[in-house]
Amino acid sequence: MVKIILGFFSYTLMLLSQPHSPSLKLQQNCFVCHQTQEIPSELIYRRYLMKYSTHRVIKTTLLEYLQNPKKKNSIMPKQFFIKFPFKEKSDLNMTELEQSIDDYLDYFDVTKKLVLPSF
Amino acid sequence: MQPLNMWGIVMLKSEKRTLFRFLSIYLGSTFLLFLLATVIFYHYQKHHIIDTQNSKLKQEAERISQVLRKLHKNYTSPLVYPHQEPYHSAIYSIDKTLIFGSFKPQNIQWKEEYYNYNNNLFHIKRLKPYYLGATYLMVSRAVDGKPIEDLQKMLVLFLFIAGIFFTSLGIFLGKLFIAPMKEVMNHMNQFIEDTTHELNTPISTILTNIELIETLYGFEGKQEMRRIEIASKTLSRLYEDLTYLKLNHHYHRDSRPLNISGLIEERIEYFNTMIEAKQLLLKVTIEPNIVIVMDRNDALRMVDNLLSNAIKYNKKEGVLSVVVTQKLFKISDTGVGIKEQDLAQISGRFNRANKSEGGFGIGLDIVNQVVEQYAFYFKITSAYNHGTEVTIEW
Repeated sequence: MVKIILGFFSYTLMLLSQPHSPSLKLQQNCFVCHQTQEIPSELIYRRYLMKYSTHRVIKTTLLEYLQNPKKKNSIMPKQFFIKFPFKEKSDLNMTELEQSIDDYLDYFDVTKKLVLPSF
Repeated sequence: MQPLNMWGIVMLKSEKRTLFRFLSIYLGSTFLLFLLATVIFYHYQKHHIIDTQNSKLKQEAERISQVLRKLHKNYTSPLVYPHQEPYHSAIYSIDKTLIFGSFKPQNIQWKEEYYNYNNNLFHIKRLKPYYLGATYLMVSRAVDGKPIEDLQKMLVLFLFIAGIFFTSLGIFLGKLFIAPMKEVMNHMNQFIEDTTHELNTPISTILTNIELIETLYGFEGKQEMRRIEIASKTLSRLYEDLTYLKLNHHYHRDSRPLNISGLIEERIEYFNTMIEAKQLLLKVTIEPNIVIVMDRNDALRMVDNLLSNAIKYNKKEGVLSVVVTQKLFKISDTGVGIKEQDLAQISGRFNRANKSEGGFGIGLDIVNQVVEQYAFYFKITSAYNHGTEVTIEW
């Protein structure tokens, strides 16, 4: 119970620290479940970013995974799927799926967070 | 060929020229060698300095990549990019799109790990894994010119000191080089001095007595007498020439208007015995009463030596031609001539193109000295085995 409260608390803090709010569709299509199930969305983004470097490739691989959510199509480690529930196949159509991925990538985009130090 | 005083040593012009050539070659080759070594050393050191600065770029790239790793795991906002002066850096995705950076470099040479562009050093580090999506990290800074400037100053100072040292060494070697030459010259001058002193009295006695015999007794053996006369006159001129050379730079010239036409005619008459003995065809074209300002002794030495050479080196029954005009004195013979390769050195002291006749090789040296003294134009043209033509323009 304490873990859940702490997790929720930290997730809330994380959301508050975002420069802007997620789009409504992103909130509805993704974050509702992610928040409920405490799935760290930004961690997933960073994991994909670290592996694929560009949003274009991330989008392709995420799309592939969301259309066919199997472990072999994910880059997340085994422990991740032990800790978090496995995703079911999305009932969103392709357009909605693409739009949601774009919003997702845009929302966590590191380039928007990076700043130069002030001397 | 005027004697010159250099470093307290009296030298002839040709000897001075030889010394300068020696010094020029020695200093020139030493300078070139040092310059080459310095340029190679400079490039090596500059390369080393750039390498050192590149290694600092590498260290900075390593530092940035460590911070990127930390930032990648930091989910707070903002993410402060690890920019640090004097370096500039930027991160690029795998498709070489700029993600973020403190600058936007142009004309990136992606294939080079290190490169220099517009006096800026660049280092491209490939990252793996791609923290924050960065596949390439570019770090740059302006070339720190101070070590290179210090190196340049040091090398210029080195060249300057080496230049002074080797010039001093060259002068020292030059003096060593001249010393034996000076000794030889002293011996030669001493020999000439002794010889001239001993020649004077007997020659005068012989010539005076020949004249007396011819005048008073009408001597019958004229052929033999003429030979004695020619030999005596040759010795007499040799004495005059040697005295002239010995006294040349202490000699007080009495330059005054001189009837050169009369003097040349007089000297042709003086050499008549020799001309007849060699059965030469004499062609004389002398404009009368041409006057030039000149010391008489200088004129005598110049004319005598040219006439003597033209007779001595002429073929038997050859042609001796003398032309004197308002502008020039030209004397030509149909003698042995001078080889083309010998023409350049022929007027030097003790130089003789043909050793078939007697002599010390001082004749043209004297003519040359006189010509230089009065700034006359002196030209020798010769065809080997056909003859020689000497022209002096006043």
